[in-house]
Amino acid sequence: MTKDTPAAVGSPPPPSRAATFGARAWAVSLWPFVAGVALAAFLYFTLPSAIGPYYLRIVVDVGIAMVLAVSLNIVSGMTGQFSIGHAGFMALGGYTAGMITYYGSILCWGTASRHGGFLGVGDWLFVVACVVGGLVAAAAGYMVGLPSLRLRGDYLAIVTLGFGEILRVVLQQTNKVMEDAAAVRASTLSDWIPPPVGGAVGFDGLPKYTNLFWVGVFVTMTVVMAYRLKQSSMGRAMLAVREDEIAAQAMGVDIAKTKVRAFVLAALFAGMAGGLFAHEPGLIISPKDAGFQRSFEYLIMTVLGGRGSISGVMLAAAILTALPEFLRDFEQYRLIVYAFLLIIMMLLRPQGLFGIHEIWQIWPRRAGANPKTEAVAR
Amino acid sequence: MKSNQVPSQDVASGASTAPLLFAEDLWLSFGGLKAVQNFTLGLPRGALYGLIGPNGAGKTTVFNLLTGVYRPDSGRIVLDSQELVGRQPHEIAAAGIARTFQNIRLFPDLTVLDNVRLAGQLRASQRLGGILLRTGRQREEEATICRRAFALLELFDLQDRADTLATNLSYGHQRHLEIVRALATEPKVLLLDEPAAGLNSREKQELAGSIRRIRAQFQLAVLLIDHDMNLVMEICERIAVLDHGVMIARGTPAEIQHDPKVIAAYLGCSEPLN
Repeated sequence: MTKDTPAAVGSPPPPSRAATFGARAWAVSLWPFVAGVALAAFLYFTLPSAIGPYYLRIVVDVGIAMVLAVSLNIVSGMTGQFSIGHAGFMALGGYTAGMITYYGSILCWGTASRHGGFLGVGDWLFVVACVVGGLVAAAAGYMVGLPSLRLRGDYLAIVTLGFGEILRVVLQQTNKVMEDAAAVRASTLSDWIPPPVGGAVGFDGLPKYTNLFWVGVFVTMTVVMAYRLKQSSMGRAMLAVREDEIAAQAMGVDIAKTKVRAFVLAALFAGMAGGLFAHEPGLIISPKDAGFQRSFEYLIMTVLGGRGSISGVMLAAAILTALPEFLRDFEQYRLIVYAFLLIIMMLLRPQGLFGIHEIWQIWPRRAGANPKTEAVAR
Repeated sequence: MKSNQVPSQDVASGASTAPLLFAEDLWLSFGGLKAVQNFTLGLPRGALYGLIGPNGAGKTTVFNLLTGVYRPDSGRIVLDSQELVGRQPHEIAAAGIARTFQNIRLFPDLTVLDNVRLAGQLRASQRLGGILLRTGRQREEEATICRRAFALLELFDLQDRADTLATNLSYGHQRHLEIVRALATEPKVLLLDEPAAGLNSREKQELAGSIRRIRAQFQLAVLLIDHDMNLVMEICERIAVLDHGVMIARGTPAEIQHDPKVIAAYLGCSEPLN
């Protein structure tokens, strides 16, 4: 700790123990989670009847896209490492979570269909599966993060692109899904290697647990994490790596550790988002979801939102997810529109819609606001 | 090119008079170019030494060796009885050597405060769980880092610009911020690479005062590179002169001013007058 610093630097009295560890401290720690979960529950109970299944589906899609874009932003926006393999992490997490819920359900309850109601036992199996999917993706993130220590820019992009594409091809070669408990009982080892997740047609038959509530919970977790990370010493180390690696090193930032940490964190949340994606009603996760086209979409969200701007990226994720739905007739032109959007952004506003700022920071500061108190209050 | 391994001498080992930072017989070549040859320097605690030489003499390369950006072909660097050769730059920063850069290398899109606060991560004990939950301890630590950063910014009267992006600061302020940022790592040794470049004479005077003040306040050893002879001669206690990677002279400012080899190196006399 920094107790024995030069005496000249004024060391203020430490905050009281109560302020540090008391109930108020817990309130500060937990209120965003409580608020997020409460909002998610509120939407879960009110929104479906208000907007109908079609728009509900879009809202869920937006939520999943937010988790992916905000987590990618930790790597590309905050740490400045160009990654176009983010969908690979998502797919890895999704397939892993799917394996757990599908075969777990068959083993426990004899059938792969939904089990239990809201917050029932099936829901918790699903949450555990998402978290495990995230952890598996994080392990992959560690492996992909390692080359980032030696590569930068285009070369790193190729490695991350390669990861997604390799995963896509590998997933195409997997065994077909076992239909029911009898098939699982009759299975031999060769049915499990490679894993029975459906090959090129996708992993069909998963219990569809994903709903507005769980999406809201994961969005809350991701956003709070990203925002608090950005406000922490660890996050500042990431920002410093983005800004100037040599100066960051001279300031004592362990570049290798920081980059790998960014990749692991981003992959963790991408993997959990994959779990949500795989269990979303009306969707079948398939190998092409690991491909570069999807990665590219998330990358565009981070570029459009602004590097490091969490709220900007969330807004971009919402716009870019909802827009194609409202422009259904122009579906086939979507990628052309994206490309144009990117070119225009690069020309007019290369820092993204909100640059490095959060949305609420772009309005002029209140007159007389004292930066010192504000900064300390953060 | 590995040059002959010099038998390690007893100068740095434990004696009470041992300098704080000791570089012994450093060699570095880039292909055929011998960038630094046989560089030896002892920087005592609290000393303010200068390193001068014509352009391309290898001064910044010496800084890069001391901070671990380059690894010397041979030789050793000892800080407070810790061997530094082979360590990563961030480890050397943690060990207590901070530097500024000749061509300013601030983090342009971070605020002034964040540029300085970054150093907090060196000694922070934060874990991911603590950050995610923003525990009381984590907030306390961040608040301490923040207060310390403001205290340092006040040294150069930058506290009112804490929320400005570094890239929007004036040139002089950027130079100052580089020094503040280096101080934030709580160094034992401060390496200043041409801090006066681009400053006018009044600003240079202020800088000279600031460097003295900082040294006294933080009990630092300072090694200064600059081309401004008035500044170097005025504030440095001892000066080393590099030319083509070779140390051609060392001594007090008065000695250096009258050294014929130094005059030859600066004025381009074809053969040294010795």
